[in-house]
Amino acid sequence: MKIVDIDCVSKFYNGAKALENISLEIDEGERIVILGPSGCGKTTILRLIAGFIAPDTGSISIAGELVSRDGRIIRPPEQRNLGMVFQDLALWPHLSVKGNIEFGLKAKGLPKIERKHRICEALDLVGMGDLAARKPAELSGGQQQRVALARALVLEPKVLLMDEPLSSLDLELNVRLRKEILGLQEKLGFTMGYVTHDRNEAFDIATRVISMKQGRIEKIEKVRTLTS
Amino acid sequence: MARRIFLTLIVLFLLAIGMLPVLSMLIKSVIVDGHFSFAYYAGLLTSAHQWTLMGHSIALSVLVTSLTVAVGMPLGVLLGKTDLPFRRFFTVIFTIPLLIPPYIIAVSWFDLLGREGLLTHLLGASVTSATAHFLFGLPGCVFVLFSIFLPIPMLLTMIFLRTINPRLEEAGRLVSDWRGVVKGITIPLILPGVLLSAMLVFLLSFGEFSVPNFLRYDVFPVESFTQFSAFYNFKAATAAAVPLAAVTLILLLTEAAFLRERTYQLRPSPEFKRLPMIALRRHRKWLFASVATTGLVIVIVPIVALVIQSSGMNAYAEALNRAGDSLLRSLMYAVIGATLLTFLGFFTGYLIQTKALKFWRSIDSLTIFLFALPSTVIGIGLISLWNTPWTNFIYSTPMIIILGYLAKYTALTSRITVAQLAQVPPSMEEAAQVAGAGWFRRMVFIVAPLAGRGLLAGWLVGYIFSLRDTGITMLVYPAGHETLPVRIFTLMANGSPELIAALSMVMITATLLPAGILWMIPGIMTRKVIR
Repeated sequence: MKIVDIDCVSKFYNGAKALENISLEIDEGERIVILGPSGCGKTTILRLIAGFIAPDTGSISIAGELVSRDGRIIRPPEQRNLGMVFQDLALWPHLSVKGNIEFGLKAKGLPKIERKHRICEALDLVGMGDLAARKPAELSGGQQQRVALARALVLEPKVLLMDEPLSSLDLELNVRLRKEILGLQEKLGFTMGYVTHDRNEAFDIATRVISMKQGRIEKIEKVRTLTS
Repeated sequence: MARRIFLTLIVLFLLAIGMLPVLSMLIKSVIVDGHFSFAYYAGLLTSAHQWTLMGHSIALSVLVTSLTVAVGMPLGVLLGKTDLPFRRFFTVIFTIPLLIPPYIIAVSWFDLLGREGLLTHLLGASVTSATAHFLFGLPGCVFVLFSIFLPIPMLLTMIFLRTINPRLEEAGRLVSDWRGVVKGITIPLILPGVLLSAMLVFLLSFGEFSVPNFLRYDVFPVESFTQFSAFYNFKAATAAAVPLAAVTLILLLTEAAFLRERTYQLRPSPEFKRLPMIALRRHRKWLFASVATTGLVIVIVPIVALVIQSSGMNAYAEALNRAGDSLLRSLMYAVIGATLLTFLGFFTGYLIQTKALKFWRSIDSLTIFLFALPSTVIGIGLISLWNTPWTNFIYSTPMIIILGYLAKYTALTSRITVAQLAQVPPSMEEAAQVAGAGWFRRMVFIVAPLAGRGLLAGWLVGYIFSLRDTGITMLVYPAGHETLPVRIFTLMANGSPELIAALSMVMITATLLPAGILWMIPGIMTRKVIR
């Protein structure tokens, strides 16, 4: 089943072309990796799917529902049921690990008992159960990465978007976390939209790699079939 | 080596103009008839009058702070983070009262609400009797100071909003609407700025004497000023000034302990131009109407009252006739003060930003302490130090006024330099160093040009604050060297309302004109951040 449908989307910044006539479909449970050099428009695609910006032309649908079209955002980000891990992780520095994960649950109006249960589950999932009271600044790079993942997954999103989440880590930690992300995806079965400029990382993670250049899709390569 | 020596000299100069006067004042106040004595301070603790003054000062400051922060922070969010129409225009409008001498705002409200005010002609004497009753006393003081200090929380909120990494809010937007994001993420992140603004407003209200003096509300600065100017009781004036200095010191130490680390991280986010903005949608119209009405009432109406009161060329002709020389002096002292403040602030800011000397933080704290210190304290300190036969060349010349400006306002220009230099990568200076340039050459040809916009903004702020200064100048000006704010203040006792209004309009024009001209020169206020 098609979960994300990007149809003839173009985007311009101050008259300069960022994306030109992009069409892309992402199936449920798929791991799409968008690969390309800086400035090719790959992050713009994630931001369009998330709803932070609207396409100047074209439309985007999520789970069969039209969410933005021709310069207009129909569904704002909080109504799209997406998770996102940002390049700089964007962990809220004034909140603890638990507070970071709980924020979305509170916004959804979940009762306290359920929130507590879901937080424990999310923390166990990423192996951070004993660090719930810490502030982000008190964590290592790898731990921060896991918190960002737990925060994104706790609301059980339809699609998890990841914008170069491992780019700031050393190679050893990068490879280890790649495996952990893959393990989580296979366990939970969420759909993944992943952006990177690293070819090895792309082919290690993806079921399909979308190579981009200067705002256009250059080629699409099928890497492997889903294991689950 | 040259850097260390020059910056040490700058520090010594700052200590000489800022700390020495305060220390001299304190020492002289505890020496009575050649003996060490706390006689004047004993009166502070035992006199019911002094406790009443303290109660008044604290009540005024707490009310003004609460009101300005309660209105200023949401206003800052509206102007800095939403799609409200005319945001830039409103920002300028709300900032105007901070730029002109505070008592002029009080005069304008008196012209409107006083017993002989413009409202009498419109609504009758019974209404203005009630409004005059409101104006003279605590409520009037709170209202006038609120309108003057409102820009502080507003502007600091806007500045701190620009420092937020947009990703932090976007991460919140994935799971919550804007209301939840502002409440749970944005406001906690700008809280250090809001608390800083609250502390500044408290200290400025606590040290303000011209408005309470005009509106007849007894507070410590008024007492200190009266003891000095009316009774020439220097030691009693000092004793009355000490609680002001003590409260300032306590608050600044608290700020240093809890907030300083967080406010030091104040850097505009590299993506501040792409900050996610809140679409107000159906709330846009009524919020626009509310902001416009607030601006109209607290900024436009009092200025229009002055314009109406001063109408007729005769009032302006008389104003220039009676105070033209004061105007020229004011402009001259403000230009000299601003230039020296820019110079001093640039090197102090450089010292702080580059941590060039071990005690850089103490220097930053010193400038902030002097800025927060009530003008009356600095004024009395300057007289205490320089009023000697050997230093008459300073005390009896306008140099004493300029020294007062430098002591009080260096914090402003140094902070602007710090903010500007924070955007200049250290590698810029290092590259010049590797190329063989000495420190002075690097400063003149590399650092100063890169901080050019900050220097210009610093000069403008220095000019405005020097020109509007009343508290220090009122106490220290030598005979024949009174400035326009002092002239207006003294004329208020016997000058006609038309004359005072005309002089106030001249003062407002002289203050805002350079800012307006610089604002209109393309490119000056819009240069990009260096990456």
